[in-house]
Amino acid sequence: MKRFTCSGCSLLCDDIIIRSDGLFIDEVIGACLKGKERFDQVTAKNRITSPMIRNGNELKKISWEQAIEEVIKIIKKSLHPLLYGFSNSSCEAQSKGIELARIINGFIDSNASICQGKVLGVANEFGINLTTITEIINKADLIILWGANPAETIPRLLNKTLFSRGKFRMTGREIKTLVIIDPVKSASFNVMGVRDIALQIEPGKDVELIQALKEECCQADSIPSEGVAGIDQEDLKRILLHIVGTENGVIFLGQGILKSDKENRLIREILEFIQMINSKQEKGRISLIMMGGHYNMAGFDHAALSLAGQIGGLQFQDHTIINGNNSIVSKIKSEDFDYSIIVGTDPISHLPYTLSSKLAKKPIILIDNQMTATAEVADLILPTAITGIECEGLAFRLDQVPVHLEKIINPPSNLPSDENLLDQIIAKLKERGT
Amino acid sequence: MMELVLNTVRKIDYDQKKEFTFGNTQSLEDNLAIAFLNPKNAKELKVTKDGHIKISNEENSIIVKVIEDENTPEGIVVLPVSIWANQITQVRETEIFYKNIKVLVETTGEPITKYMHIINRIKGD
Repeated sequence: MKRFTCSGCSLLCDDIIIRSDGLFIDEVIGACLKGKERFDQVTAKNRITSPMIRNGNELKKISWEQAIEEVIKIIKKSLHPLLYGFSNSSCEAQSKGIELARIINGFIDSNASICQGKVLGVANEFGINLTTITEIINKADLIILWGANPAETIPRLLNKTLFSRGKFRMTGREIKTLVIIDPVKSASFNVMGVRDIALQIEPGKDVELIQALKEECCQADSIPSEGVAGIDQEDLKRILLHIVGTENGVIFLGQGILKSDKENRLIREILEFIQMINSKQEKGRISLIMMGGHYNMAGFDHAALSLAGQIGGLQFQDHTIINGNNSIVSKIKSEDFDYSIIVGTDPISHLPYTLSSKLAKKPIILIDNQMTATAEVADLILPTAITGIECEGLAFRLDQVPVHLEKIINPPSNLPSDENLLDQIIAKLKERGT
Repeated sequence: MMELVLNTVRKIDYDQKKEFTFGNTQSLEDNLAIAFLNPKNAKELKVTKDGHIKISNEENSIIVKVIEDENTPEGIVVLPVSIWANQITQVRETEIFYKNIKVLVETTGEPITKYMHIINRIKGD
């Protein structure tokens, strides 16, 4: 039995006990449902264990030599490659992806750009107060879930942060106030206690809510008697009392905020609000954590920043990064690509029809370990090992803390890691003088 | 026909990745081609138990099974994050919207939109 880190979600729980003989995983202890699913993927029936090429409606198995040749063939006859995904890959693979994009003059972006990456973009203008899970475990007295439902997306997050007894406090859950702001009464509402506050906001009214709170901060009794955004005046005053009185508060920004925000207006308002509160605070502070789902969603921006000096989408021209002002959405929407290399994600499922139908029109090279909707339309599929189980690598937890993922067992059919496969493609391109 | 607001949410019991990994096309359709409606909205739409609704906007339309849910507020239709939901999520200029999307909802006797039908539609077949 040995302790391993789980790569089932971005919380990267480091307390999972695995019994394994190095060939098979016999027992997994302490993982949540998502973690258990991650370990079960090793033997899942949709697992891909050999490269495949599309022949009409059929996928045909081919050898690795043929597969790499086919990749080179597609790369050689195209000019505008699009590389996308990488949130389910290690930082080493993300770095190789960026290197490949530079060599083939491509555009590379990760899932983060349509999720938590938006916050970092805005943080460039406003600054941002981040915190770590350890800090929350040990010190937090106020936890706000804003458009977030960790009970179903990051199942052990509340166990660790809300129900924990901190090192620097004699008390635990009893002094921690939970505030949930969401239009839908999600499963996370079930953990609420008597002192907690549930705010079922009207959909799309979050900006109004923050503006009302900001105004009340500057001038008392400015909240209208009928309330704001479907929330009572009294509830708004209560939440503000908690926010300004917290010694160590954290706002978890969930998909409700990250995926509904027009021109990042809401994110701007939240960052400004946090700064306003912290400037007024005498004894404490409030911080932010973005709740990306994929286990290494935070990693791509770190890799991009260290290798290219930018976060988000990177456009290369003449093997140099240029400021193209593009995003994955603008590239696909304007069909400014002639093929795509998708790594560890399923954009045919995850992107709106307007984009998925355009992506499917051009050749797709898919690097992934399982059959998905994207595999149903991909022209070439290259399977890889599962990071954190069948190969090692570095990942960044949702609070931006780097965590090393270990290898537990050997991959089936000696599958390469994402990093190794991308390296093979780069080596072959160099060998051919590209 | 009613105008409702569409919100897509992640639900651990209705998880597309889980169905891809451990299920089959049938279980995928059974667990993901669904929509949660407040019982009052379901009554107004005259949807029977396990009845189907057509959800449409200018992008596309899908037919899914209704699950009545007290936790879904009136005026909102909730879809688990899936390939079905993303047939009607929106791109406005260069931004993707997965939530707060106006949709038209009507009761229908037609079968749910099949997974392979969606794949073929995306492929342009």
